[in-house]
Amino acid sequence: MSGTVVTERAVSGNGVAGNGASGNGVAEKPAISVRNLDFFYGDHKALRGISMEFSTRKVTGMIGPSGCGKSTLLRVLNRMYDLYPGQRATGEVIFDGRNIIAPGMDVNRLRARVGMVFQKPTPFPMSIYDNIAFGVKLHETPSRSEMDGRVEDVLRRVALWGEVKDRLKASATALSGGQQQRLCIARTIATRPEVVLLDEPTSALDPVSTARIEELLDELKKEFTIAIVTHNMQQAARCADQVAFFYLGELVEMDSTDRIFTAPRETRTQDYITGRFG
Amino acid sequence: MSGHQNGRQSVRQNGAVQAAPDRWKPHGALAMRRRFMDRLATGLSLTATCVALLALCSILLTLLVRGVAGLSLVTFIHSTASPGMNGGLANAIVGSLIQTAVAILIGAPLGMMCGIYLSDYGRGWMASTTRFVSDMLLSAPSILIGLFIYQLIVVPTGHFSGFAGSVALAILALPIVVRTTEDMLGLVPVALREAGIGLGASKWRVIVFICLRAARTGVMTGILLAVARVAGETAPLLFTSLGNMDWSVSLAQPMASLPVTIYQYAGSAYDDWVQLAWTGALLVTLGVLAINILVRVGFGRKGA
Repeated sequence: MSGTVVTERAVSGNGVAGNGASGNGVAEKPAISVRNLDFFYGDHKALRGISMEFSTRKVTGMIGPSGCGKSTLLRVLNRMYDLYPGQRATGEVIFDGRNIIAPGMDVNRLRARVGMVFQKPTPFPMSIYDNIAFGVKLHETPSRSEMDGRVEDVLRRVALWGEVKDRLKASATALSGGQQQRLCIARTIATRPEVVLLDEPTSALDPVSTARIEELLDELKKEFTIAIVTHNMQQAARCADQVAFFYLGELVEMDSTDRIFTAPRETRTQDYITGRFG
Repeated sequence: MSGHQNGRQSVRQNGAVQAAPDRWKPHGALAMRRRFMDRLATGLSLTATCVALLALCSILLTLLVRGVAGLSLVTFIHSTASPGMNGGLANAIVGSLIQTAVAILIGAPLGMMCGIYLSDYGRGWMASTTRFVSDMLLSAPSILIGLFIYQLIVVPTGHFSGFAGSVALAILALPIVVRTTEDMLGLVPVALREAGIGLGASKWRVIVFICLRAARTGVMTGILLAVARVAGETAPLLFTSLGNMDWSVSLAQPMASLPVTIYQYAGSAYDDWVQLAWTGALLVTLGVLAINILVRVGFGRKGA
């Protein structure tokens, strides 16, 4: 199961058959398969020959020292790097039967299906309600009451409904940092993605807000495939089902969370998780 | 830092053999010189401020005293008239309002689009040229812009018109709006753009519905400052809207405006015309002042 070797392993599902939107078959294929991915910032090669799989409806934790490429990989999965000329990726990233880094991909559609939550909470300068409606309206044209229902539903799922139900029309920027981040997660899942990417989603939050977001991940993975980049080893251990360790642009090792933290194969992994470097 | 300073002082004092120095109070020639320079610089800048303020207050006070003297209902309801005919400034006030409004209606959207281009789309020589030209326009003599529009609109149409004046003012407003829009969009955090893109929004949607919203106070400030700038302009109107003695709200006809009326009346030989010039000057100044205060009070708080 070493991450450097591509294996077409069928991940044992968690009993839920196909989540409708994903169009997966009977067997639980990995949500995203990465094969021989290289990534370049101009001339600098930031990812080298990455091959790994993101299991459907599991939390995949990505750890490693700063600059190891884990955030870069995350930004490949929804083609965020497209915004910046000079950044390019080669190889294959297979999502729902298509290589998403090939030319001709509808990136806006892709980003609706592979949502992203960022390090800093990024509420849009509009009301709480509109923050959620904005993303939904990009891809669907729900009626007023459908939208109301959708907003309530996602806010309930991120445990924010009770706190904001009386001020949905108030500005989202007035919320606390933890509330803003939960709103951002709500906004992301409101477009009904299949995969949710989280880039250090709690590094700007206090411990209480962090704990709430982590609880939330446990709920969300029942429905979404989750990839989370984190600098916090305990967070990876608590939240992730499988963990990938990156170092200097390479995937050193990927395994179940238990194995990574108790019996890693590689000494570099061992050194990192025990705090000997990084 | 202070440790370093103290170290130097104790070295100096060791030579002079003094009692143990109070290390909270700087001593020695260096400290004296610094204190002197500090007071000198503070004094000079205070003097300069007073001179500038005095000039400004003198202008405002004179304007207020001489302008208010002629202020009455007639000023607002009568158009300009021959000397001794109890004329007002109604046509000039309305003309100024119309021309400024049309100028902003033309200049602000163009300027915003140009600012968006420079901030989010422009790359390479095209963008740098646009930015350079816009910055040049910002400091171009306004009379040249008047002459430009004279050639462009007045000569082909064969007559002066309020529309020509509006276009000239629009060109003056344009670079101000371009600059503030670009700057304000540049202040929108990258994370906010990425969040919009990350939801699957196209670039223009992110710019219009997220970035411009986030930057709206700054952009509005820029537009209001442009209003304040063009409302007081005389030179670009001399060759374009010319001025009009009678009441006229047609953009196709020559149109009166406060600055041009001031220009024409201030140097005239008739006392009541000179008085109207003072009153007009007061009205323009109060209008511009009101806009500036609006900008500060309305938008300043949010740190635009």
